[in-house]
Amino acid sequence: MTVELLAPKYLTWMANGLLMTAWIAVIAIVFSTLAGFTLALARDAKKPVWRLLARCYTLVFRNTPLLIQLFFWYFAAPNLLPENTMLWLNTPHPLNLAGCTLGWPSFEFLAGTFGLTLYATAFVAEDIRSGIRGVPKGQYEAAAASGLTRWQMQRHVILPQALRHALSPLFGQYMNIVKNSSLTMGIGLAELSYTSRQVEAASFLTFQAFGVATLGYIGLIAILDVLARQVQQRVALPAGN
Amino acid sequence: MEALEVIHANLDYLLWGTWPDGPLGGAALTLVLSVVSGLASAAGGLLLGVLLAVLRGWSRQVLLLVLGFLRAIPVLMLIFWVYFLLPILFGLNVPGLVPVVCALSLISAAYLAHAVSAGIAALPQGQWNAAYSLGLTRWQVLRYVILPQALRMMLPSFVNQWITLIKDTSLAYVVGINELSTVASQVSNRVMIHPVPVFLFAGLVYFVLCAGLSALASYLGRSHQHASPAMV
Amino acid sequence: MKIKTQVLALLLLGLASGVAMADKLDDIKKAGVLRVAAFDGNPPFGFVDEKTHKIIGLDVDYAQEVAKRLGVKLEIVPTNPANRIPLLTANKVDLVFANFTITPERAKVIDFSVPYFASGQQFLARKGALKSPDQIASLRVGADKGTTMEATLREKYPNATVVLYDDTPFALTALRNGNVQAITQDGSKLVAILGNLPDKDKYEIPGFSISEELEGVGVPKGETRLVAYLNDTLKDLEKNGTASKIYDRWFGPDTKAPLPRLFKIGDAHIRAQ
Repeated sequence: MTVELLAPKYLTWMANGLLMTAWIAVIAIVFSTLAGFTLALARDAKKPVWRLLARCYTLVFRNTPLLIQLFFWYFAAPNLLPENTMLWLNTPHPLNLAGCTLGWPSFEFLAGTFGLTLYATAFVAEDIRSGIRGVPKGQYEAAAASGLTRWQMQRHVILPQALRHALSPLFGQYMNIVKNSSLTMGIGLAELSYTSRQVEAASFLTFQAFGVATLGYIGLIAILDVLARQVQQRVALPAGN
Repeated sequence: MEALEVIHANLDYLLWGTWPDGPLGGAALTLVLSVVSGLASAAGGLLLGVLLAVLRGWSRQVLLLVLGFLRAIPVLMLIFWVYFLLPILFGLNVPGLVPVVCALSLISAAYLAHAVSAGIAALPQGQWNAAYSLGLTRWQVLRYVILPQALRMMLPSFVNQWITLIKDTSLAYVVGINELSTVASQVSNRVMIHPVPVFLFAGLVYFVLCAGLSALASYLGRSHQHASPAMV
Repeated sequence: MKIKTQVLALLLLGLASGVAMADKLDDIKKAGVLRVAAFDGNPPFGFVDEKTHKIIGLDVDYAQEVAKRLGVKLEIVPTNPANRIPLLTANKVDLVFANFTITPERAKVIDFSVPYFASGQQFLARKGALKSPDQIASLRVGADKGTTMEATLREKYPNATVVLYDDTPFALTALRNGNVQAITQDGSKLVAILGNLPDKDKYEIPGFSISEELEGVGVPKGETRLVAYLNDTLKDLEKNGTASKIYDRWFGPDTKAPLPRLFKIGDAHIRAQ
């Protein structure tokens, strides 16, 4: 029995899907980390109103399925936006920077990365927050004693240590982002799961199409895993500290 | 207000599908799927976690590889695999909801296995030694001494996993299972002009289920902390 | 590790396909149930009824006739376009009645009955957005994953941007939101969609079609007796007038989206109007 392999044409489709998955994952990872820091600080802010807002955000985004959130951002939210805004978002506005043209992202891409980032932020923030809580009280007192302002203390003393504590769960969240990006196929974003269905429909090689996609995801997760180990080694505290 | 009409007119369908005339669907099916997968994954996670804690050498490596695989692939992909590919490859044909439950509980069990094995490892070695000195076998120590303590500690992570499961059941839409997300899409698609209220309502139902459980989890976590202040 | 399991899996696949030689027609009669995949969001072919919440439509009516003749119960399994072939090959259903275009590529992996419906691939767009086929290349067009529409579009208009959705209603929502400028589908389906739109005066179906779609029942590969049985049944339904009754129920003059019947079971092509 001979095994029919995917034709080069189909492998190209899959490769494009893999690149798209990696690209949206990177964007969501970067933005959810930045937003996650902000949300984590807001969760323990001095003003009660910030704390309340941050708590509500976390509650809503953690307790509803990503799929429903994506459907909402892509299919429902455009009804809430003014017609002109939608028209503007859907019309290409290529950017010309020093001769190279940056393409205008499709609405699928915008809604997909936006939804994925908002969802991930709620989880990333909680991990950063537990990291912050893991910083010993003495560190705050020492920082205050050396005359640092609240912001300087956060920036130079607390957050670096918090990040170190949170690294392992954070990379877990980053892996979740890669896996969760597969849901954006539901809103027409041509990432790896989407292209695997497309290849399956065109070639009828169900097993091969899903097999290649699965290997793609495992590959991306493996890369993140290696990265996590390296980062952790680099920032590991010397023994006895 | 016309938007609320849409929800009102389809409320039955969104909440329990065509039941009792036809099969259960909507939010009720979401709940059933998550409860069944939750129980299956708790049992599976417990078994795999204990194995992870007691196995040594190559068998442990194989188990770690399998768990790693399950944790590395998206839920969506595993649902495809179990639903479409197992029957094609092996002629294994399990009807209806079983493949979806299998896919969901496999992934969930893989996550729980690590929590269980970490819970077992967290108990001081002295407990083992003390129990051995009473003449208990390895299995008896695990069954009567270690697991009861470890499980109490891990109760919140079981509930948290259940919350994840409720959200993940929404992915059954890719194979046409009539759970809440699928029926919400059906309703939104038929009505055409009111996607906002329909998806907001579906989101609200998920929120009530998940946030309710989440409150339960943190209550359990707190009451556990009160019970054993030494652990804090 | 992964490669080894794949090889093992493929070996087992070889074994399984060698063993599975039972006759489907007998299996269905023995089970007393005919499992049919039908659409759940594509009026008037298959959709969830507003009141009973059951799946109804033209495809379901045909499936019901087949089940009646077999003397078995009909069980409908909802599907989207992309799941139709996997549902058959994974033996999750016995037949597919879901607006299923017969193509030589598909016929390599599954079998088809004679066509019982025909339509052309057309477009639905905002009024004035699409006047002639040359414009297609410059548009973003919404289509369904796993349909012939996608492939035809890619072949004939490689420059068009095609965005794929899980099902037609999702594509329609994207059109209404302006994320795509047109959606492509069977003309008959588009007429029904347009008929159901609350703001139908804003949209139109341009008068050209880019292919002819003949639609048949999807059958697992190699079930020749079942195919023959279906063909006889369908031809009988045409002869005794049931086929035209079913057609009129969904496309007749009293419906929201009336269409003349230009194809009869047994015809080779759509008749010129």
